Amino acid sequence: MGIKTPLYDEHVKAGGRIVEFGGYDMPVQYSSAIEEHKAVRNNAGLFDVSHMGEFSVKGKDSKVFLSGLIPTSLSKLEKNKGMYSCLCKEDGGIIDDIFIFMIAENDYFLVVNAGTKDKDFSWLNNHLTGDVVLEDLTDETAKIDIQGPESEKIIKKIFESAFVSSLERFYFDYTTYNGKKIMISNTGYTGEAGYELYIDKSEAVSLWNTLLEKGKGEGLIPCGLASRDSLRLEACYSLYGHELTEEINPVEAGLSWLVSSDADYIGCRSVRGMKEKGSDRRIYCVSMVGKGIPREGCKVEKNGNEIGYLTSGGFSPVFSKGIALGMLKKGIVKTGDSVDIVIRNKKVEAEIVKRPFYSFNG
Amino acid sequence: MGEVKGKKIESGLKYTENHEWVKVEGDTATCGISDYAQNSLGDIVFMEYTDDIEGEKVAKGDVIAVVESSKAASDVYSPVSGEVLEVNSDVEDSPETINSDPYGNGWLLKIKLSAPEELEKLISAEDYEKLINSGE
Repeated sequence: MGIKTPLYDEHVKAGGRIVEFGGYDMPVQYSSAIEEHKAVRNNAGLFDVSHMGEFSVKGKDSKVFLSGLIPTSLSKLEKNKGMYSCLCKEDGGIIDDIFIFMIAENDYFLVVNAGTKDKDFSWLNNHLTGDVVLEDLTDETAKIDIQGPESEKIIKKIFESAFVSSLERFYFDYTTYNGKKIMISNTGYTGEAGYELYIDKSEAVSLWNTLLEKGKGEGLIPCGLASRDSLRLEACYSLYGHELTEEINPVEAGLSWLVSSDADYIGCRSVRGMKEKGSDRRIYCVSMVGKGIPREGCKVEKNGNEIGYLTSGGFSPVFSKGIALGMLKKGIVKTGDSVDIVIRNKKVEAEIVKRPFYSFNG
Repeated sequence: MGEVKGKKIESGLKYTENHEWVKVEGDTATCGISDYAQNSLGDIVFMEYTDDIEGEKVAKGDVIAVVESSKAASDVYSPVSGEVLEVNSDVEDSPETINSDPYGNGWLLKIKLSAPEELEKLISAEDYEKLINSGE
């Protein structure tokens, strides 16, 4: 038995199939993972992602502290803006990918993965410097994501329209719900427009049910982790434990774009070095030509030679075929090239395609 | 018989603990996976038979096909022994038929029984209903 989020009973009532993920009992799907996926692409879907970790980092040395741990320049942030980054080890291996929201000067809100939360907290805690207060807010925080083209219309039925309209992509702000402070960011992990809502766990059930009620006419349905995974795969967003691990450098993971800091952060030599010199392997997008579903761990071959392995794979509801991300040797294949995916000891033809499979729609 | 979603049980069929069903007509058995099995798997997006299985002899418990849902791949086992008379090529093209009609158009195999006594070890519809309800 895993930890239950504040919305666990709602998931069970709605017929959600529960699986353990990152130490939590989470709904993997309610009725059909494909229907849920399509709801997000066409209308809107609601996700309970309260299993994710939230940390507060404040104190006058917070910026210096975080600058020493991430490869992304904090100058890219301003008040009420968030950005994607990661924590690296000395050798450049990724400890976790994280989202950093800047509440004010030297006041940050970090969102981390559930399965790596304790490791992340220890890492941050072990590197504390100067006047910094690190606090784990995970247990008291519910996180609800509403994603899909109808999201804005739906949340405007609950929150002030001007407030919602003021939130540009990657920006966030606070308002109230039932008298409790709520943080809403214009962000997501699906490739669709949408919002992520952070609120005290006491209001989670009310907010969840209110959103579902208000969004009914727009086709909003609850969505589980299976559709969250297939959505992020189509959009080519990395998932920790797959494209990102402690053995993978951000440059290899295709995250060179977030390597921008000039600071002396942990891992800077290897990360910066790899960005300058290039890597021997990187993540490629692979689309099936032959029949079959590519899965994590499948070998990838070119002319009979192994050139890498799949880090994630599955069926794409939008393209109605198997798609995958693979860590492949560089300099061997380019877009349009044919490769073989080894599925159950059989070679199935696939094609290297341009990243992403599904471009952000918002 | 049960009509609850994911628990529909067709009377008159025999079942296995692996959630396959068997319909016997003369010396021929038609086999598939139960409604409970398809519902547990979720959306089936791909299925493929074991290579060159048509016309071959299979033993009870042999893997006859792989079905893949959006989440994972699962083996399907032959519930009986015999010669494979026919496979359902329609479900290879439209694997979602296994979800929508597991006891009808979603059938997987027709087998000429070589050991009809195996049928006695299969589970009746009534006992299968008890089995899936006890698993809740």
